[in-house]
Amino acid sequence: MTAENAIARFRRDITLGALLKGALAVGAVLVLLLHFLPLPAAINPSLLLMLLVVVWVVLWYGTMKSSRLAAESSTLIASGMLEQAETQIEQSLRAFSMSRSVKSLGLLNLALLRLAQKRWPDTALLCRELLASRGPMPEHVSKSGRLMLADSLLEMGDLRAAHDALTGLYRHRLSLSESLHLLRVQSDYLAAIGAWGELMRDVENKVSLAEIMPPQHGARLQAILALAAKQTGQAEWANWLRRRVELLVDVRELVATRPLLGQLWET
Amino acid sequence: MDSTPDSFLDTAALIRGSMPRPRRLWLWYATLAVVVMILTSIVTAEENPQLQAIVRFLSGLLMFAMVLAMGWFASHTLKQQRREQQRVEAIEELIQLRRWDHAAGMIQAMLSRPTLTMSGRLQALFYLSGVLARYDRFADAIVVHDYLLSHAQFDPITAHGLKLMRAMALLREDHLVDADRAMGELRREAPDSAGLALVEIYRDVKTGHPDEAIEVFKAKSAAIRTQLGHRIADAYILVARAHDVLDQSTEAAAAYENATLLTPVEELLRRYPEVRPLREKYGGAASPREGVQ
Repeated sequence: MTAENAIARFRRDITLGALLKGALAVGAVLVLLLHFLPLPAAINPSLLLMLLVVVWVVLWYGTMKSSRLAAESSTLIASGMLEQAETQIEQSLRAFSMSRSVKSLGLLNLALLRLAQKRWPDTALLCRELLASRGPMPEHVSKSGRLMLADSLLEMGDLRAAHDALTGLYRHRLSLSESLHLLRVQSDYLAAIGAWGELMRDVENKVSLAEIMPPQHGARLQAILALAAKQTGQAEWANWLRRRVELLVDVRELVATRPLLGQLWET
Repeated sequence: MDSTPDSFLDTAALIRGSMPRPRRLWLWYATLAVVVMILTSIVTAEENPQLQAIVRFLSGLLMFAMVLAMGWFASHTLKQQRREQQRVEAIEELIQLRRWDHAAGMIQAMLSRPTLTMSGRLQALFYLSGVLARYDRFADAIVVHDYLLSHAQFDPITAHGLKLMRAMALLREDHLVDADRAMGELRREAPDSAGLALVEIYRDVKTGHPDEAIEVFKAKSAAIRTQLGHRIADAYILVARAHDVLDQSTEAAAAYENATLLTPVEELLRRYPEVRPLREKYGGAASPREGVQ
């Protein structure tokens, strides 16, 4: 499913879901009011209300199914099963759901998948759609959307837009995994603009956090900190961090993804 | 916390006491009442048209009250479940940040009474097993592992992690036959697992087979690095011990330095008491971090 298709379906389902929920609510109020009106015996408002409840339960069952698919797909992405995740996300996006949060989660998962596939423009497009959509949005969806937007914009070299996306996050209270993601993106950004002094601020805490990140991310953060230490003349830190990175990842692969880090191994 | 030190993280009590209560039956009673009400109004309308308006008015009032009550109940239940999920997430974060005492306190508080959801309970029990292992209470940890593996269905990655933790705990408790059986099962399920390689290296070091430990490390070091990240320090310290047993002091010193470059010595000695003799023999990597060697 292309990002454009997913966005079109997301918009359509959100509108349809809101209309349906509104219609059900109005129907329920009307049927309740019917109890207090003189009506012919053939019309039983209680039966009508039961009918509405049955319709609501059927629609809610579909929503729950879609929610389960969305929840499972994030686990698949985390474990690197990207093809299975793609199928699952597509199913979740195609399934009808009355809930706005479930639809948003489906789109967020697609953005997460595209990020894992290094398809940065698609990720940015999907995250922008999520952040621009009006109406209530679960807080974790908007925070993750913003983090992924900043991440993909950095990869695309759009530093100003990445900075704007990051700025919006400082107003929120972040979970540990969100804080780790923010630290990683923020460090990438600071390295890209050459803010070495800022990178070395509270370095001990940053190293502790790098140790609980996924291996590749943790190693890259320590390499960035090693470069910052080198640039600011803190040779002991630079040497210690560089040696740790050498034990954690293949240095050639690391430099291929971040050529700037090649300076650490220049003779 | 009102628990005495003796009852702190009492696994049997926590497993027993945390079982969610069965759902209350009043929802079924309410549904039954609605059905009875509908039937009554239909019968009344047919038998006595004069009473029909009164019955309909009363059933309308009752319906309205029920809709409000069910809405309140659904929202209340959802809020409570969300709060429980937040507690589980907080425990997970505390464990990641290695704040073991806080995590243990929260787990004790959460599992001391029936949880709202089975998934919340299972997650908390999973974290309990990790905290027990951290406190060197491996026998208790194995009880929790066995309970989880026999009573719950986990996704393959979580189940594998749980089995690895169990195999490591069995080794720490010197239950070598059981550990060997557990490793055999893991090997059939995921032969390329880096976690399994680490458990095998530990088993070989513990049982006096240093050559085999070094062989496994050589064959699996790339996978260990990719899959375990910083925990490759564990493999380095065990391999250092294997080289030391074989009197290969140059290799032992290099592996010891690599291990201590990634993880503080104290932590490694806590995880693997068998490597204590290395401390006096070799110099660890110096760290610029305050108070860490």
